[in-house]
Amino acid sequence: MFEGPLQRLIDELARLPGVGRKSAQRMAFHLLGVEREDALRLSSAIVDMRDQLRICSRCYNVTASEECTICRDSKRDQTVVCVVERAQDIAVIERTQEFRGRYHVLGGAISPIGGIGPSQLRIAELGKRIEDEGIMELILATNPTVEGDVTAMYIAREMKPRGVRVTRLAMGLPVGGDLDYADELTLGRALAGRSEL
Amino acid sequence: MRLAWLHLHSFRSYPALEWRPDPGVNILVGRNGAGKTNVLEAIGFLANLRSFRGAPEETLIAHNAETAVLRGEESDAQALVEVEITRKGGRRTRIGQKSIGRTSDLRSALRTVAFLPDDLDLVKGSPAGRRELLDDVATQIWPGAALDQAEFDRTLRQRNAFLKQGDRDPATLEVWDTRLAQAAAKVMGRRARAAAALEETLVESYGRIAGEETSVRFAYQSDWGGTLDPTTPASEWAKSLTGALRERRRLDFELRTTGSGPHRDDPAISLGGQGSRHQASQGEQRTLALALRLATHRAVSLQTDRLPLLLLDDVYSELDPDRSKALTDALPEAQTFVSTTRLDEVPVPGRAWQVSEGDIR
Ligand SMILES: Nc1ncnc2c1ncn2[C@@H]1O[C@H](COP(=O)(O)OP(=O)(O)OP(=O)(O)O)[C@@H](O)[C@H]1O
Ligand SMILES: [Mg+2]
Ligand SMILES: [Zn+2]
Repeated sequence: MFEGPLQRLIDELARLPGVGRKSAQRMAFHLLGVEREDALRLSSAIVDMRDQLRICSRCYNVTASEECTICRDSKRDQTVVCVVERAQDIAVIERTQEFRGRYHVLGGAISPIGGIGPSQLRIAELGKRIEDEGIMELILATNPTVEGDVTAMYIAREMKPRGVRVTRLAMGLPVGGDLDYADELTLGRALAGRSEL
Repeated sequence: MRLAWLHLHSFRSYPALEWRPDPGVNILVGRNGAGKTNVLEAIGFLANLRSFRGAPEETLIAHNAETAVLRGEESDAQALVEVEITRKGGRRTRIGQKSIGRTSDLRSALRTVAFLPDDLDLVKGSPAGRRELLDDVATQIWPGAALDQAEFDRTLRQRNAFLKQGDRDPATLEVWDTRLAQAAAKVMGRRARAAAALEETLVESYGRIAGEETSVRFAYQSDWGGTLDPTTPASEWAKSLTGALRERRRLDFELRTTGSGPHRDDPAISLGGQGSRHQASQGEQRTLALALRLATHRAVSLQTDRLPLLLLDDVYSELDPDRSKALTDALPEAQTFVSTTRLDEVPVPGRAWQVSEGDIR
Protein backbone atom coordinates (compact mmCIF):
# COMPACT_ATOMS: atom_id res chain seq x y z
CA MET A 1 0.00 0.00 0.00
CA PHE A 2 2.93 2.36 0.81
CA GLU A 3 6.44 2.89 -0.65
CA GLY A 4 8.67 -0.18 -0.20
CA PRO A 5 10.69 0.63 2.98
CA LEU A 6 7.71 2.17 4.79
CA GLN A 7 5.49 -0.81 4.00
CA ARG A 8 8.27 -3.16 5.12
CA LEU A 9 8.45 -1.46 8.51
CA ILE A 10 4.65 -1.51 8.89
CA ASP A 11 4.62 -5.22 8.10
CA GLU A 12 7.36 -5.92 10.67
CA LEU A 13 5.66 -3.88 13.40
CA ALA A 14 2.30 -5.48 12.74
CA ARG A 15 3.84 -8.89 13.49
CA LEU A 16 4.48 -7.84 17.10
CA PRO A 17 2.01 -9.11 19.69
CA GLY A 18 -0.82 -6.70 20.45
CA VAL A 19 -0.04 -4.47 17.45
CA GLY A 20 -2.68 -4.25 14.76
CA ARG A 21 -2.51 -2.78 11.26
CA LYS A 22 -3.61 0.65 12.41
CA SER A 23 -1.19 1.05 15.29
CA ALA A 24 1.63 -0.32 13.14
CA GLN A 25 0.93 2.45 10.63
CA ARG A 26 0.82 5.06 13.35
CA MET A 27 4.16 3.90 14.76
CA ALA A 28 5.77 3.78 11.32
CA PHE A 29 4.65 7.32 10.48
CA HIS A 30 5.92 8.50 13.85
CA LEU A 31 9.33 6.90 13.19
CA LEU A 32 9.37 8.55 9.76
CA GLY A 33 9.63 11.86 11.58
CA VAL A 34 12.37 11.06 14.14
CA GLU A 35 16.07 12.00 13.93
CA ARG A 36 18.41 9.47 12.39
CA GLU A 37 20.21 8.89 15.71
CA ASP A 38 16.94 8.17 17.52
CA ALA A 39 16.10 5.63 14.85
CA LEU A 40 19.56 4.08 15.25
CA ARG A 41 19.16 3.91 19.03
CA LEU A 42 15.94 1.96 18.65
CA SER A 43 17.25 -0.40 16.02
CA SER A 44 20.49 -1.10 17.91
CA ALA A 45 18.55 -1.70 21.14
CA ILE A 46 16.66 -4.43 19.35
CA VAL A 47 19.78 -5.98 17.82
CA ASP A 48 21.81 -5.70 21.08
CA MET A 49 19.12 -7.39 23.03
CA ARG A 50 19.00 -10.16 20.48
CA ASP A 51 22.83 -10.57 20.47
CA GLN A 52 23.62 -10.12 24.14
CA LEU A 53 20.79 -11.81 25.97
CA ARG A 54 20.54 -15.50 26.56
CA ILE A 55 18.77 -17.96 28.78
CA CYS A 56 19.93 -18.46 32.38
CA SER A 57 21.53 -21.89 32.62
CA ARG A 58 19.89 -22.53 35.98
CA CYS A 59 16.37 -21.12 35.92
CA TYR A 60 15.84 -20.27 32.21
CA ASN A 61 15.17 -16.61 32.94
CA VAL A 62 16.50 -14.07 30.44
CA THR A 63 20.03 -12.93 31.30
CA ALA A 64 23.08 -11.14 29.98
CA SER A 65 25.50 -13.60 31.60
CA GLU A 66 25.70 -17.33 32.29
CA GLU A 67 23.30 -17.07 35.22
CA CYS A 68 20.67 -14.40 35.84
CA THR A 69 20.95 -11.78 38.59
CA ILE A 70 18.37 -13.56 40.73
CA CYS A 71 20.21 -16.88 40.63
CA ARG A 72 23.50 -15.10 41.40
CA ASP A 73 22.04 -13.21 44.39
CA SER A 74 23.35 -15.13 47.42
CA LYS A 75 20.92 -13.39 49.76
CA ARG A 76 17.96 -15.11 48.14
CA ASP A 77 16.55 -18.28 49.63
CA GLN A 78 17.89 -21.19 47.59
CA THR A 79 15.51 -23.73 49.06
CA VAL A 80 12.33 -22.19 47.65
CA VAL A 81 11.64 -22.10 43.91
CA CYS A 82 8.73 -20.36 42.24
CA VAL A 83 7.70 -22.13 39.01
CA VAL A 84 6.32 -19.89 36.24
CA GLU A 85 5.23 -20.47 32.64
CA ARG A 86 7.19 -17.66 31.00
CA ALA A 87 10.19 -15.47 31.84
CA GLN A 88 8.03 -12.33 31.84
CA ASP A 89 6.00 -13.73 34.74
CA ILE A 90 9.10 -13.35 36.94
CA ALA A 91 8.91 -9.57 36.68
CA VAL A 92 5.26 -9.62 37.78
CA ILE A 93 6.05 -11.65 40.89
CA GLU A 94 9.19 -9.63 41.66
CA ARG A 95 7.08 -6.48 41.75
CA THR A 96 5.08 -7.85 44.68
CA GLN A 97 8.24 -7.82 46.85
CA GLU A 98 6.80 -10.86 48.65
CA PHE A 99 9.04 -13.54 47.26
CA ARG A 100 12.70 -14.02 48.16
CA GLY A 101 13.46 -17.39 46.59
CA ARG A 102 14.53 -18.34 43.08
CA TYR A 103 12.57 -19.17 39.93
CA HIS A 104 12.12 -21.86 37.33
CA VAL A 105 10.74 -21.01 33.89
CA LEU A 106 8.82 -23.90 32.31
CA GLY A 107 8.53 -22.41 28.85
CA GLY A 108 4.74 -22.77 28.64
CA ALA A 109 1.97 -24.98 29.94
CA ILE A 110 0.62 -28.40 29.04
CA SER A 111 -1.79 -28.02 26.12
CA PRO A 112 -2.64 -30.99 23.88
CA ILE A 113 -4.43 -28.57 21.52
CA GLY A 114 -1.16 -26.68 21.10
CA GLY A 115 0.77 -29.94 20.87
CA ILE A 116 2.56 -29.29 24.16
CA GLY A 117 3.07 -32.18 26.53
CA PRO A 118 5.17 -32.43 29.71
CA SER A 119 8.27 -33.38 27.74
CA GLN A 120 8.18 -30.09 25.79
CA LEU A 121 8.37 -28.18 29.08
CA ARG A 122 11.35 -27.90 31.44
CA ILE A 123 9.90 -30.33 33.96
CA ALA A 124 12.71 -32.88 33.84
CA GLU A 125 15.14 -29.97 34.38
CA LEU A 126 13.13 -28.98 37.44
CA GLY A 127 13.43 -32.52 38.81
CA LYS A 128 17.17 -32.38 38.35
CA ARG A 129 17.39 -29.05 40.17
CA ILE A 130 15.49 -30.50 43.12
CA GLU A 131 18.10 -33.22 43.39
CA ASP A 132 21.11 -30.93 42.81
CA GLU A 133 20.20 -27.79 44.74
CA GLY A 134 18.54 -28.96 47.93
CA ILE A 135 15.23 -27.34 47.01
CA MET A 136 12.61 -27.89 49.73
CA GLU A 137 9.57 -26.04 48.45
CA LEU A 138 8.05 -25.41 45.03
CA ILE A 139 5.52 -22.61 44.61
CA LEU A 140 3.59 -23.25 41.42
CA ALA A 141 2.68 -19.91 39.86
CA THR A 142 1.40 -21.12 36.50
CA ASN A 143 -1.45 -19.07 35.00
CA PRO A 144 -4.93 -19.50 36.49
CA THR A 145 -6.11 -21.20 33.30
CA VAL A 146 -7.18 -24.77 32.71
CA GLU A 147 -3.76 -25.42 31.14
CA GLY A 148 -1.90 -23.74 34.01
CA ASP A 149 -3.86 -25.77 36.55
CA VAL A 150 -3.17 -29.05 34.80
CA THR A 151 0.53 -28.22 34.53
CA ALA A 152 0.62 -27.47 38.26
CA MET A 153 -1.20 -30.71 39.06
CA TYR A 154 1.19 -32.68 36.88
CA ILE A 155 4.26 -31.13 38.49
CA ALA A 156 2.83 -31.73 41.96
CA ARG A 157 2.31 -35.41 41.14
CA GLU A 158 5.82 -35.78 39.79
CA MET A 159 7.72 -33.80 42.41
CA LYS A 160 5.99 -34.60 45.69
CA PRO A 161 7.43 -38.13 45.84
CA ARG A 162 10.87 -36.46 45.88
CA GLY A 163 10.10 -35.05 49.27
CA VAL A 164 9.52 -31.37 48.39
CA ARG A 165 6.64 -29.32 49.68
CA VAL A 166 4.47 -28.23 46.73
CA THR A 167 2.11 -25.25 46.92
CA ARG A 168 -0.01 -23.43 44.37
CA LEU A 169 -0.79 -19.72 44.32
CA ALA A 170 -4.17 -19.10 45.87
CA MET A 171 -5.78 -17.17 43.06
CA GLY A 172 -8.46 -14.65 43.78
CA LEU A 173 -8.68 -14.51 40.01
CA PRO A 174 -11.23 -16.33 37.91
CA VAL A 175 -9.99 -19.23 35.82
CA GLY A 176 -9.26 -18.00 32.33
CA GLY A 177 -7.13 -15.04 33.39
CA ASP A 178 -3.51 -14.31 32.68
CA LEU A 179 -0.90 -13.73 35.36
CA ASP A 180 0.12 -10.62 33.42
CA TYR A 181 -3.16 -8.89 34.13
CA ALA A 182 -3.17 -9.39 37.89
CA ASP A 183 -2.32 -6.31 39.89
CA GLU A 184 0.44 -6.43 42.49
CA LEU A 185 -1.95 -6.38 45.44
CA THR A 186 -3.93 -9.40 44.26
CA LEU A 187 -0.78 -11.32 43.44
CA GLY A 188 0.82 -10.42 46.76
CA ARG A 189 -2.17 -11.76 48.62
CA ALA A 190 -2.21 -14.85 46.44
CA LEU A 191 1.42 -15.52 47.35
CA ALA A 192 0.72 -15.11 51.04
CA GLY A 193 -2.33 -17.38 50.91
CA ARG A 194 -0.86 -20.15 48.76
CA SER A 195 -2.20 -23.63 49.36
CA GLU A 196 -0.79 -27.15 49.53
CA LEU A 197 -1.28 -29.43 46.50
CA MET B 1 -36.25 -4.42 32.13
CA ARG B 2 -37.19 -2.21 29.19
CA LEU B 3 -35.40 -1.54 25.96
CA ALA B 4 -35.81 2.21 25.47
CA TRP B 5 -34.25 2.32 22.03
CA LEU B 6 -32.37 0.19 19.56
CA HIS B 7 -29.85 1.35 16.97
CA LEU B 8 -28.54 -1.02 14.31
CA HIS B 9 -25.85 -0.29 11.77
CA SER B 10 -25.12 -2.79 9.01
CA PHE B 11 -26.81 -5.55 10.95
CA ARG B 12 -28.28 -8.14 8.54
CA SER B 13 -30.95 -6.39 6.42
CA TYR B 14 -30.66 -3.11 8.39
CA PRO B 15 -28.19 -0.53 7.00
CA ALA B 16 -29.20 2.00 9.66
CA LEU B 17 -32.10 1.60 12.07
CA GLU B 18 -33.07 3.89 14.90
CA TRP B 19 -36.07 2.55 16.71
CA ARG B 20 -37.91 3.42 19.95
CA PRO B 21 -40.09 0.45 20.83
CA ASP B 22 -43.11 0.68 23.10
CA PRO B 23 -42.45 -0.25 26.75
CA GLY B 24 -45.32 -2.76 26.52
CA VAL B 25 -46.12 -5.14 23.66
CA ASN B 26 -44.60 -4.54 20.22
CA ILE B 27 -46.00 -6.43 17.25
CA LEU B 28 -43.72 -6.48 14.22
CA VAL B 29 -45.72 -7.09 11.06
CA GLY B 30 -44.25 -7.70 7.62
CA ARG B 31 -44.09 -10.14 4.73
CA ASN B 32 -41.67 -13.07 4.61
CA GLY B 33 -38.10 -11.84 4.49
CA ALA B 34 -39.04 -8.33 5.64
CA GLY B 35 -36.57 -8.43 8.54
CA LYS B 36 -38.80 -9.20 11.55
CA THR B 37 -36.72 -12.03 12.95
CA ASN B 38 -33.58 -9.98 12.32
CA VAL B 39 -34.77 -7.37 14.84
CA LEU B 40 -35.60 -9.94 17.50
CA GLU B 41 -32.26 -11.57 16.83
CA ALA B 42 -30.51 -8.22 17.34
CA ILE B 43 -32.20 -7.70 20.71
CA GLY B 44 -31.27 -11.25 21.70
CA PHE B 45 -27.71 -10.64 20.60
CA LEU B 46 -27.38 -7.52 22.73
CA ALA B 47 -28.37 -9.60 25.74
CA ASN B 48 -26.54 -12.85 25.05
CA LEU B 49 -23.78 -12.08 22.52
CA ARG B 50 -25.13 -14.99 20.53
CA SER B 51 -27.69 -15.44 17.78
CA PHE B 52 -30.76 -17.36 18.90
CA ARG B 53 -30.80 -18.84 15.41
CA GLY B 54 -27.35 -20.26 16.11
CA ALA B 55 -26.03 -18.19 13.19
CA PRO B 56 -22.26 -17.65 12.94
CA GLU B 57 -21.28 -14.11 13.86
CA GLU B 58 -20.09 -12.99 10.43
CA THR B 59 -23.46 -13.78 8.88
CA LEU B 60 -24.96 -11.02 11.05
CA ILE B 61 -22.94 -8.34 9.29
CA ALA B 62 -24.75 -6.77 6.32
CA HIS B 63 -23.46 -8.17 3.02
CA ASN B 64 -21.81 -4.95 1.88
CA ALA B 65 -20.25 -3.98 5.24
CA GLU B 66 -17.19 -4.89 7.32
CA THR B 67 -18.62 -4.24 10.77
CA ALA B 68 -22.02 -4.36 12.37
CA VAL B 69 -22.89 -2.19 15.35
CA LEU B 70 -25.75 -2.88 17.77
CA ARG B 71 -26.66 -0.37 20.44
CA GLY B 72 -29.47 -0.22 22.94
CA GLU B 73 -30.47 1.31 26.20
CA GLU B 74 -32.11 -0.54 29.05
CA SER B 75 -34.17 2.15 30.74
CA ASP B 76 -34.66 0.78 34.30
CA ALA B 77 -30.95 0.76 35.09
CA GLN B 78 -30.12 3.22 32.29
CA ALA B 79 -27.54 0.83 30.96
CA LEU B 80 -26.21 1.58 27.49
CA VAL B 81 -25.13 -1.61 25.79
CA GLU B 82 -23.04 -1.59 22.63
CA VAL B 83 -21.68 -4.46 20.57
CA GLU B 84 -19.50 -4.27 17.49
CA ILE B 85 -18.97 -7.34 15.31
CA THR B 86 -16.23 -7.49 12.69
CA ARG B 87 -15.60 -9.95 9.89
CA LYS B 88 -12.21 -10.89 11.33
CA GLY B 89 -14.02 -12.27 14.36
CA GLY B 90 -13.05 -9.46 16.69
CA ARG B 91 -15.94 -8.37 18.87
CA ARG B 92 -16.12 -5.36 21.13
CA THR B 93 -18.68 -5.05 23.88
CA ARG B 94 -19.31 -2.08 26.11
CA ILE B 95 -21.72 -1.20 28.85
CA GLY B 96 -21.76 2.57 29.24
CA GLN B 97 -18.14 3.66 28.94
CA LYS B 98 -16.79 0.38 30.24
CA SER B 99 -15.37 -2.27 27.97
CA ILE B 100 -16.33 -5.76 29.03
CA GLY B 101 -14.77 -9.05 28.13
CA ARG B 102 -17.23 -11.57 29.44
CA THR B 103 -20.81 -12.41 28.55
CA SER B 104 -21.63 -12.74 32.24
CA ASP B 105 -21.20 -8.99 32.79
CA LEU B 106 -23.70 -8.31 30.05
CA ARG B 107 -26.39 -10.54 31.46
CA SER B 108 -27.16 -8.27 34.36
CA ALA B 109 -27.81 -5.36 31.98
CA LEU B 110 -30.23 -7.06 29.62
CA ARG B 111 -31.95 -10.44 29.68
CA THR B 112 -34.22 -12.05 27.10
CA VAL B 113 -36.35 -15.16 26.87
CA ALA B 114 -37.13 -16.15 23.31
CA PHE B 115 -39.98 -18.31 21.98
CA LEU B 116 -38.77 -19.69 18.68
CA PRO B 117 -40.40 -21.57 15.78
CA ASP B 118 -38.26 -24.66 16.44
CA ASP B 119 -39.00 -24.86 20.15
CA LEU B 120 -40.74 -28.19 19.71
CA ASP B 121 -37.24 -29.64 19.37
CA LEU B 122 -36.64 -28.84 23.03
CA VAL B 123 -39.06 -31.62 23.84
CA LYS B 124 -38.82 -33.91 20.80
CA GLY B 125 -35.21 -33.42 19.89
CA SER B 126 -31.91 -34.74 21.16
CA PRO B 127 -30.64 -34.00 24.69
CA ALA B 128 -28.33 -31.25 23.37
CA GLY B 129 -31.20 -28.77 23.14
CA ARG B 130 -32.26 -29.43 26.73
CA ARG B 131 -28.69 -29.14 27.98
CA GLU B 132 -28.45 -25.80 26.20
CA LEU B 133 -31.73 -24.68 27.77
CA LEU B 134 -30.44 -25.49 31.26
CA ASP B 135 -27.10 -23.80 30.59
CA ASP B 136 -28.95 -20.75 29.34
CA VAL B 137 -31.20 -20.60 32.41
CA ALA B 138 -28.13 -21.03 34.62
CA THR B 139 -26.26 -18.13 33.00
CA GLN B 140 -29.33 -15.90 33.23
CA ILE B 141 -29.62 -16.57 36.95
CA TRP B 142 -25.97 -16.95 38.02
CA PRO B 143 -23.49 -14.72 36.19
CA GLY B 144 -20.62 -17.09 37.06
CA ALA B 145 -22.22 -19.99 35.18
CA ALA B 146 -20.91 -18.78 31.81
CA LEU B 147 -17.35 -18.99 33.12
CA ASP B 148 -17.93 -22.50 34.42
CA GLN B 149 -19.28 -23.59 31.04
CA ALA B 150 -16.35 -22.06 29.17
CA GLU B 151 -13.94 -23.73 31.57
CA PHE B 152 -15.57 -27.13 31.08
CA ASP B 153 -15.64 -26.77 27.26
CA ARG B 154 -11.98 -25.84 27.21
CA THR B 155 -10.97 -28.74 29.46
CA LEU B 156 -13.02 -31.20 27.42
CA ARG B 157 -11.42 -30.01 24.18
CA GLN B 158 -7.97 -30.40 25.74
CA ARG B 159 -8.69 -33.91 27.00
CA ASN B 160 -10.06 -34.92 23.58
CA ALA B 161 -7.00 -33.45 21.88
CA PHE B 162 -4.86 -35.51 24.25
CA LEU B 163 -6.79 -38.69 23.35
CA LYS B 164 -6.38 -37.94 19.65
CA GLN B 165 -2.60 -37.59 19.97
CA GLY B 166 -2.34 -41.30 20.64
CA ASP B 167 0.06 -40.59 23.54
CA ARG B 168 -1.02 -42.94 26.32
CA ASP B 169 0.95 -41.42 29.17
CA PRO B 170 -1.24 -42.31 32.18
CA ALA B 171 0.14 -39.52 34.40
CA THR B 172 -0.98 -36.82 31.95
CA LEU B 173 -4.39 -38.42 31.42
CA GLU B 174 -4.84 -38.66 35.17
CA VAL B 175 -4.44 -34.88 35.64
CA TRP B 176 -6.77 -34.12 32.74
CA ASP B 177 -9.35 -36.46 34.30
CA THR B 178 -9.08 -34.74 37.65
CA ARG B 179 -9.35 -31.28 36.11
CA LEU B 180 -12.23 -32.29 33.83
CA ALA B 181 -14.14 -33.74 36.76
CA GLN B 182 -13.66 -30.50 38.75
CA ALA B 183 -14.98 -28.38 35.88
CA ALA B 184 -17.77 -30.85 35.10
CA ALA B 185 -19.00 -30.90 38.70
CA LYS B 186 -19.55 -27.14 38.60
CA VAL B 187 -21.53 -27.35 35.35
CA MET B 188 -23.61 -30.28 36.57
CA GLY B 189 -24.39 -28.52 39.82
CA ARG B 190 -25.62 -25.45 37.95
CA ARG B 191 -27.74 -27.54 35.59
CA ALA B 192 -29.30 -29.52 38.40
CA ARG B 193 -30.21 -26.31 40.21
CA ALA B 194 -31.51 -24.74 36.99
CA ALA B 195 -33.68 -27.82 36.38
CA ALA B 196 -35.02 -27.57 39.92
CA ALA B 197 -35.81 -23.88 39.46
CA LEU B 198 -37.62 -24.63 36.19
CA GLU B 199 -39.49 -27.58 37.63
CA GLU B 200 -40.90 -25.38 40.36
CA THR B 201 -42.69 -23.15 37.86
CA LEU B 202 -43.24 -25.72 35.11
CA VAL B 203 -46.35 -27.35 36.57
CA GLU B 204 -48.13 -24.04 36.74
CA SER B 205 -46.95 -22.90 33.29
CA TYR B 206 -47.99 -26.20 31.74
CA GLY B 207 -51.35 -26.12 33.49
CA ARG B 208 -52.09 -22.64 32.23
CA ILE B 209 -51.63 -23.63 28.61
CA ALA B 210 -53.08 -27.14 28.79
CA GLY B 211 -56.03 -25.95 30.89
CA GLU B 212 -55.61 -28.83 33.32
CA GLU B 213 -53.28 -29.88 36.12
CA THR B 214 -50.66 -32.44 35.15
CA SER B 215 -47.53 -33.44 36.97
CA VAL B 216 -44.38 -32.26 35.18
CA ARG B 217 -40.93 -33.29 36.32
CA PHE B 218 -37.62 -31.97 35.06
CA ALA B 219 -34.77 -34.20 36.19
CA TYR B 220 -31.14 -33.74 35.38
CA GLN B 221 -29.73 -37.15 34.59
CA SER B 222 -26.27 -38.35 33.77
CA ASP B 223 -25.55 -41.63 32.05
CA TRP B 224 -23.17 -42.75 34.78
CA GLY B 225 -24.55 -41.21 37.96
CA GLY B 226 -28.31 -41.52 37.50
CA THR B 227 -30.53 -38.64 38.52
CA LEU B 228 -28.55 -35.86 40.14
CA ASP B 229 -29.89 -34.24 43.24
CA PRO B 230 -29.25 -30.47 43.22
CA THR B 231 -28.18 -30.57 46.88
CA THR B 232 -25.30 -32.97 46.25
CA PRO B 233 -21.97 -31.20 46.86
CA ALA B 234 -19.75 -30.65 43.81
CA SER B 235 -16.97 -32.77 45.30
CA GLU B 236 -19.28 -35.83 45.23
CA TRP B 237 -20.00 -35.36 41.54
CA ALA B 238 -16.37 -34.80 40.76
CA LYS B 239 -15.56 -38.07 42.51
CA SER B 240 -18.27 -40.02 40.69
CA LEU B 241 -17.25 -38.61 37.30
CA THR B 242 -13.56 -39.35 37.98
CA GLY B 243 -14.62 -42.95 38.61
CA ALA B 244 -16.66 -43.06 35.41
CA LEU B 245 -13.78 -41.61 33.40
CA ARG B 246 -11.38 -44.18 34.82
CA GLU B 247 -13.75 -47.02 33.96
CA ARG B 248 -14.12 -45.84 30.38
CA ARG B 249 -10.44 -45.08 29.88
CA ARG B 250 -9.74 -47.92 27.48
CA LEU B 251 -12.82 -47.12 25.40
CA ASP B 252 -12.00 -43.39 25.37
CA PHE B 253 -8.51 -44.16 24.06
CA GLU B 254 -9.97 -46.37 21.37
CA LEU B 255 -12.64 -43.89 20.28
CA ARG B 256 -10.28 -40.96 20.89
CA THR B 257 -12.98 -38.92 22.57
CA THR B 258 -14.47 -38.46 26.03
CA GLY B 259 -17.53 -40.67 26.41
CA SER B 260 -18.79 -39.57 29.84
CA GLY B 261 -19.51 -36.17 31.25
CA PRO B 262 -22.01 -33.33 31.26
CA HIS B 263 -21.66 -33.06 27.47
CA ARG B 264 -23.43 -36.44 27.23
CA ASP B 265 -26.06 -35.96 29.91
CA ASP B 266 -29.76 -36.19 29.18
CA PRO B 267 -31.99 -33.78 31.08
CA ALA B 268 -35.36 -35.50 30.90
CA ILE B 269 -38.83 -34.02 31.22
CA SER B 270 -41.69 -36.28 32.19
CA LEU B 271 -45.37 -35.56 31.82
CA GLY B 272 -47.85 -37.37 34.04
CA GLY B 273 -45.12 -39.81 34.97
CA GLN B 274 -44.14 -40.63 31.38
CA GLY B 275 -41.17 -39.52 29.29
CA SER B 276 -42.17 -36.55 27.16
CA ARG B 277 -39.68 -37.09 24.34
CA HIS B 278 -40.99 -40.43 23.10
CA GLN B 279 -44.33 -40.90 24.80
CA ALA B 280 -46.20 -37.60 24.88
CA SER B 281 -48.59 -36.67 22.06
CA GLN B 282 -47.73 -34.00 19.52
CA GLY B 283 -50.14 -31.57 21.19
CA GLU B 284 -48.75 -32.24 24.66
CA GLN B 285 -45.24 -31.72 23.34
CA ARG B 286 -46.20 -28.39 21.80
CA THR B 287 -47.80 -27.28 25.08
CA LEU B 288 -44.73 -28.39 26.99
CA ALA B 289 -42.42 -26.43 24.70
CA LEU B 290 -44.39 -23.24 25.36
CA ALA B 291 -44.50 -24.04 29.09
CA LEU B 292 -40.70 -24.43 29.16
CA ARG B 293 -40.21 -20.90 27.85
CA LEU B 294 -42.82 -19.47 30.20
CA ALA B 295 -41.23 -21.32 33.10
CA THR B 296 -37.82 -19.98 32.10
CA HIS B 297 -39.14 -16.44 32.19
CA ARG B 298 -40.80 -17.03 35.54
CA ALA B 299 -37.79 -18.73 37.11
CA VAL B 300 -35.38 -16.03 35.94
CA SER B 301 -37.72 -13.24 37.14
CA LEU B 302 -38.10 -14.88 40.55
CA GLN B 303 -34.37 -15.44 41.02
CA THR B 304 -33.14 -12.11 39.70
CA ASP B 305 -36.03 -9.84 40.60
CA ARG B 306 -36.09 -8.35 37.09
CA LEU B 307 -38.41 -9.17 34.20
CA PRO B 308 -36.49 -10.32 31.11
CA LEU B 309 -37.72 -9.10 27.71
CA LEU B 310 -39.92 -11.56 25.82
CA LEU B 311 -39.16 -12.33 22.20
CA LEU B 312 -41.86 -14.28 20.33
CA ASP B 313 -40.69 -15.15 16.86
CA ASP B 314 -43.51 -16.27 14.57
CA VAL B 315 -45.00 -18.35 17.38
CA TYR B 316 -48.71 -17.78 16.82
CA SER B 317 -48.86 -19.14 13.26
CA GLU B 318 -48.08 -22.61 14.67
CA LEU B 319 -50.76 -22.59 17.39
CA ASP B 320 -54.40 -23.60 17.35
CA PRO B 321 -56.86 -20.96 18.67
CA ASP B 322 -57.10 -22.53 22.14
CA ARG B 323 -53.37 -22.61 22.80
CA SER B 324 -52.99 -19.24 21.17
CA LYS B 325 -55.42 -17.72 23.66
CA ALA B 326 -53.98 -19.66 26.61
CA LEU B 327 -50.46 -18.46 25.81
CA THR B 328 -51.65 -14.89 25.53
CA ASP B 329 -53.36 -15.09 28.93
CA ALA B 330 -50.26 -16.63 30.49
CA LEU B 331 -47.74 -14.08 29.17
CA PRO B 332 -46.11 -12.05 31.95
CA GLU B 333 -46.15 -8.25 32.14
CA ALA B 334 -42.74 -7.88 30.50
CA GLN B 335 -41.76 -5.76 27.52
CA THR B 336 -42.62 -8.01 24.60
CA PHE B 337 -41.62 -8.27 20.94
CA VAL B 338 -43.81 -10.40 18.66
CA SER B 339 -43.17 -11.05 14.99
CA THR B 340 -45.88 -12.08 12.55
CA THR B 341 -46.81 -11.95 8.88
CA ARG B 342 -50.46 -11.34 9.75
CA LEU B 343 -51.55 -8.96 12.48
CA ASP B 344 -54.92 -10.75 12.91
CA GLU B 345 -53.04 -13.90 13.96
CA VAL B 346 -51.76 -12.25 17.13
CA PRO B 347 -54.35 -12.09 19.90
CA VAL B 348 -52.17 -9.92 22.18
CA PRO B 349 -53.09 -6.23 22.26
CA GLY B 350 -50.09 -4.06 21.57
CA ARG B 351 -48.50 -1.48 19.34
CA ALA B 352 -48.27 -2.67 15.72
CA TRP B 353 -45.22 -1.79 13.64
CA GLN B 354 -44.71 -2.22 9.89
CA VAL B 355 -41.40 -3.82 9.00
CA SER B 356 -40.04 -3.31 5.48
CA GLU B 357 -36.93 -2.30 3.59
CA GLY B 358 -34.66 -1.95 6.58
CA ASP B 359 -37.04 0.18 8.57
CA ILE B 360 -39.69 -0.13 11.29
CA ARG B 361 -42.61 2.31 11.32
N1 LIG C 1 -26.03 -10.45 6.56
C1 LIG C 1 -27.10 -9.99 5.85
N2 LIG C 1 -26.99 -8.89 5.08
C2 LIG C 1 -28.06 -8.45 4.37
N3 LIG C 1 -29.26 -9.03 4.39
C3 LIG C 1 -29.43 -10.12 5.15
C4 LIG C 1 -28.37 -10.66 5.92
N4 LIG C 1 -28.82 -11.74 6.58
C5 LIG C 1 -30.10 -11.88 6.23
N5 LIG C 1 -30.47 -10.91 5.38
C6 LIG C 1 -31.80 -10.75 4.76
O1 LIG C 1 -32.76 -10.64 5.78
C7 LIG C 1 -33.95 -11.26 5.31
C8 LIG C 1 -34.48 -12.20 6.37
O2 LIG C 1 -34.96 -11.44 7.39
P1 LIG C 1 -35.80 -12.13 8.53
O3 LIG C 1 -35.31 -13.49 8.81
O4 LIG C 1 -35.83 -11.16 9.63
O5 LIG C 1 -37.21 -12.25 7.83
P2 LIG C 1 -38.61 -12.31 8.50
O6 LIG C 1 -39.25 -10.99 8.37
O7 LIG C 1 -38.49 -12.90 9.86
O8 LIG C 1 -39.30 -13.35 7.52
P3 LIG C 1 -40.23 -14.61 7.82
O9 LIG C 1 -41.62 -14.09 7.95
O10 LIG C 1 -40.07 -15.43 6.58
O11 LIG C 1 -39.72 -15.29 9.04
C9 LIG C 1 -33.63 -12.08 4.10
O12 LIG C 1 -34.27 -11.51 3.00
C10 LIG C 1 -32.15 -11.98 3.97
O13 LIG C 1 -31.75 -11.82 2.64
MG1 LIG D 1 -38.85 -14.76 10.68
ZN1 LIG E 1 18.39 -17.73 36.80
